[in-house]
Amino acid sequence: RPPGRLKDKKDKKDKDKVQVKVRDCPRVPAQPPPDPALLEMLRRFDLSWEYGPCTGITRLQRWERAQELGLSPPGPIRDALLEHRDNPDVTYRWVWDGWAW
Amino acid sequence: MFSEQAAPTAQGLLAPPSAEPPTFPRVSVSGYSDCSQPFQLGERSFSRQYAHIYAVRLAGMRPGLERRARSRWGNDIVLRKLSELQAGEKCCVVGTLFKAMQLQPSILQEISEEHNLVPQPPLPKYIQPSDELILEDELQRIKLEGAIDVQRLVTGTILAVYGSEQDDGRFLVEDHCFADLPPPLPWKGPCSDRFVLLTSGLGLGSVSGEALLSTQLLVDVVTGQLGAEGEQSCAAHIARVILAGNLLSQNTQSRDTINKAKYLTKKTQAASVEAVKMLDEILLQLCTSVPVDVMPGEFDPTNYTLPQQPLHRCMLPLASAYTTLHLVTNPYQADLDGVRFLGTSGQNVSDIFKYSSMDNYLEILEWTLLAGHISPTAPDTLGCYPFYKSDPFILTECPHVYFCGNAPRFQSKLLQGEEGQRVLLLTVPDFSTTQTACLVNLRDLTCQPITFSGFGAEDED
Repeated sequence: RPPGRLKDKKDKKDKDKVQVKVRDCPRVPAQPPPDPALLEMLRRFDLSWEYGPCTGITRLQRWERAQELGLSPPGPIRDALLEHRDNPDVTYRWVWDGWAW
Repeated sequence: MFSEQAAPTAQGLLAPPSAEPPTFPRVSVSGYSDCSQPFQLGERSFSRQYAHIYAVRLAGMRPGLERRARSRWGNDIVLRKLSELQAGEKCCVVGTLFKAMQLQPSILQEISEEHNLVPQPPLPKYIQPSDELILEDELQRIKLEGAIDVQRLVTGTILAVYGSEQDDGRFLVEDHCFADLPPPLPWKGPCSDRFVLLTSGLGLGSVSGEALLSTQLLVDVVTGQLGAEGEQSCAAHIARVILAGNLLSQNTQSRDTINKAKYLTKKTQAASVEAVKMLDEILLQLCTSVPVDVMPGEFDPTNYTLPQQPLHRCMLPLASAYTTLHLVTNPYQADLDGVRFLGTSGQNVSDIFKYSSMDNYLEILEWTLLAGHISPTAPDTLGCYPFYKSDPFILTECPHVYFCGNAPRFQSKLLQGEEGQRVLLLTVPDFSTTQTACLVNLRDLTCQPITFSGFGAEDED
């Protein structure tokens, strides 16, 4: 079997997985989806260079690291992160086309 | 020194044995605490980039460097970030150093098909006169020139430069400074003589067994089975043994089995299996008598990246039955009777040796202490775990004994700092080539080498 075909299959599987994740979210009980203003605030927190790189770690880890280094990250961000703890769009950094890296 | 510890009434070997053989109880180290928690990795995740470790290194060392810069060049100097530089203005910038080296092995160049290159053979030093220094901070980078020794410095060092930006976009350095010695630790050392034996590079499993006799002599001296009562009473003052890496020889790393066909290699055992069995037996003899700290090294069966995790105790079934065996990380930090030991198995120093003009292992060791970081070249040229929260290699407190293993020869120096720091810098020689170990006296931080040699092939010349 040519190796190329296997690769395509894997990509499709990943794409399916991501779509399944999105479909799963509304089934999770309680918590209304976070409003776009909150997401925008979190996105600005990701892109502010003072707190270091944002890839590969959760936003809460990045906030806590900034706190320990004495960079005084804004408190409301942490409250928002803890409030929406189980929403992957909130905990991980703003993703591009499904890549969470 | 060590031989002065001999009991004055002890009899020599040429006298008949005394009727009541005397016993010499070994001195015990009253306080031992392992301070290597920052080097112990719990759950490991490699899905992170190395940008984090550089960012926390800069953020962690910046306050200290700014303080040093102010105390050195005056309180009124201007501290600027690279993005705020104005041409011609004298200011101070704190950043990470990057050395652009032409000869540095680059995996991208090797696999690039258009170059069609054979992989570069490993060189002893990769420095060249055309190397350039570049200073990077969080956002920008700038080329450095001026009063800064390009050949001597290595990538990853955090430093503060004082100078001005020129019109051509380069930064003209008038002076630069490092983090300097970290704040001192209070001295709580013992009042009586207590010795710690440090050795590294036992090199078990090598093709020639010449060093085995010397290793057995070392074990016999430490356990008090060599010499008359004089030497035995000396050996009783050795409170601890630290093996600083490379317990196995480089020969055990041969990968012939990968290139050969499977049917030829099915029954062959890895060379390291036999070597680890030998190590187990040696450690058993040592552990019955004295606490031993075993640090892994470059050729030992543990992970490759720094910090190396302790050897697993299931590899040493005989010796792990004893509580005196401590399998520790590389780098290793511990408090022995109030004296803070910090050291590595030498990978950090030998990596800096390859990329810097500094030739002397002791000089490099001293430089890492003054630069405030155990291993600045990690992760650039030395493998390192992708830390994200903090860089555990930054020196926050000044140890009393700072050692590195697997050096070409024994060297030691007592360094005195301005704030009352007193550090014994020690390069522990490779035992398989030099048959020399080091004895450190915890009371006054003096150090002496001790050589074990038997009659080898060179005596027949």
